Amino acid sequence: MGKIFDINAVFTSIPSLLRVLPVSLEITFISMIVGLVFGLIFAVIRIKKIPVLSQIIIVFISFIRGTPMIVQLYLTYNGIPLLLKFINAQYGTSYNINAVPAMLFVLVTFAFNESAYNSETIRAALQSVNKGQIEAAESLGMTYFQVLKRVILREALVVAIPPLGNALIGLLKGTSLAFVAGVIEMTAQGKIISGSTFRFFEVYLALAIIYWVLTIIIEQILRLLEKKLSIPDPGQQNRTRGRLFSFTRSDI
Amino acid sequence: MIKVSHLSKSFHNNLILDDLSVEIEKGDVVALIGSSGAGKSTFLRSLNCLEKANEGELDLDGFKVDFTRITNKQRLELRQQTAMVFQQFNLFTYRTAFENVKEGLKIVKKMSDSEANKIAREQLEQVGLSDRAHYYPKHLSGGQQQRVGIARALAMQPKLLLVDEPTSALDPELVEEVLQTIKRTAAGGQTMILVSHEMNFVYEVANKVLFLDKGKIIEEGTPNEVFNHPKSQRTKEFLQNYYRIKQTTADVMNLTSPA
Repeated sequence: MGKIFDINAVFTSIPSLLRVLPVSLEITFISMIVGLVFGLIFAVIRIKKIPVLSQIIIVFISFIRGTPMIVQLYLTYNGIPLLLKFINAQYGTSYNINAVPAMLFVLVTFAFNESAYNSETIRAALQSVNKGQIEAAESLGMTYFQVLKRVILREALVVAIPPLGNALIGLLKGTSLAFVAGVIEMTAQGKIISGSTFRFFEVYLALAIIYWVLTIIIEQILRLLEKKLSIPDPGQQNRTRGRLFSFTRSDI
Repeated sequence: MIKVSHLSKSFHNNLILDDLSVEIEKGDVVALIGSSGAGKSTFLRSLNCLEKANEGELDLDGFKVDFTRITNKQRLELRQQTAMVFQQFNLFTYRTAFENVKEGLKIVKKMSDSEANKIAREQLEQVGLSDRAHYYPKHLSGGQQQRVGIARALAMQPKLLLVDEPTSALDPELVEEVLQTIKRTAAGGQTMILVSHEMNFVYEVANKVLFLDKGKIIEEGTPNEVFNHPKSQRTKEFLQNYYRIKQTTADVMNLTSPA
């Protein structure tokens, strides 16, 4: 063995780790979007106390929150093939279990997980909206969905963005579990590279740096989003509008 | 003509509105007075279905609603024909004054952008806030916010305007501008029901006064009849208490003002 710590190995492993970055991002963003949509639906069902559905969702959220992510991944990884086998046996179909891409197991698990957690965040945010404004919108003659869309969501978004941002960052790092379902994302790639170069520490250090930088980027985007959603000071309204992605000196 | 008949509401076995009936002519300004908890606000809010009345009917210029079996469609229709001004203003926080007024026109009345803009501009001008059109509520004073609230309600051209203690949440200095705005609205022929604790204002602006106590109308008449010649003992007590407080305030002010 040569050097105890090879700084070059850190840098040289970055490009090959980044090659599978799209996989990590795909899991993150697809799960987050699905998780937001279902999270909102679940939250509305719970707020409106729709019978049966509401109870199912409560049990579902309790289960997701009460079991480790890795166990959930194992459950879908082993459960979906069983389900297919059952369907094949029951209906005489011949779905090929091996044809199901590993990515699907991962996306299903992560999306379910996000839906459960996000629905609690969204529910709290929706319920935090000042009741007077809802009444004002109702008194104008708006339907429930118009009130939800025009008043409640706008207001709730401001409350929900910080915790949803946390969830997004947690999700990005959580994608490192996807390898248990056979998806090669960045952490799995790190294992593979270090397995052949034996520079374990260097590769994992490179990996840590990549996750950290990604997280910082997400934090910055969230910060700008929060700023964009806040009420501008009088006289500044025209200047701040429509420049979500442009920086000024004070931003840097 | 607007007719409210046999409106009742109870909450946890407490009777809040007890068989109220009122008739309102076009252009009437009906004022509800009475102590807190008498049911004044609940009465207004029931007419707009913000509270669910247990019984009662409403005939709004031929549009008839039975509150016991009101459908969703009727509720929306009823709310479109009425408009409400709230004690706490209840402006949409994330919309400018202009957008607040425009909201109902665009979303509920489905007006074109230019039409809605035109009306919103006119209404803000009516309440004297053209120069504050693009301010957000948090940058407006309470009085200005309430005037935007009035403009937002009037923009909908309601057959009946429901005004719920419009000045109770305001600094004394800001009360007058809101009262003036309402007075102008009344002079313009807007039919309205007004809940207020500003007795002098009620006396000036209303043409019909209802005194409510424990969910019942116990005195009804012109301002002159109710204020100067009250028949019921309860009304007399209420007015005496009111004037005594006013008098005390006046005394204190005389004492403290420089001679």
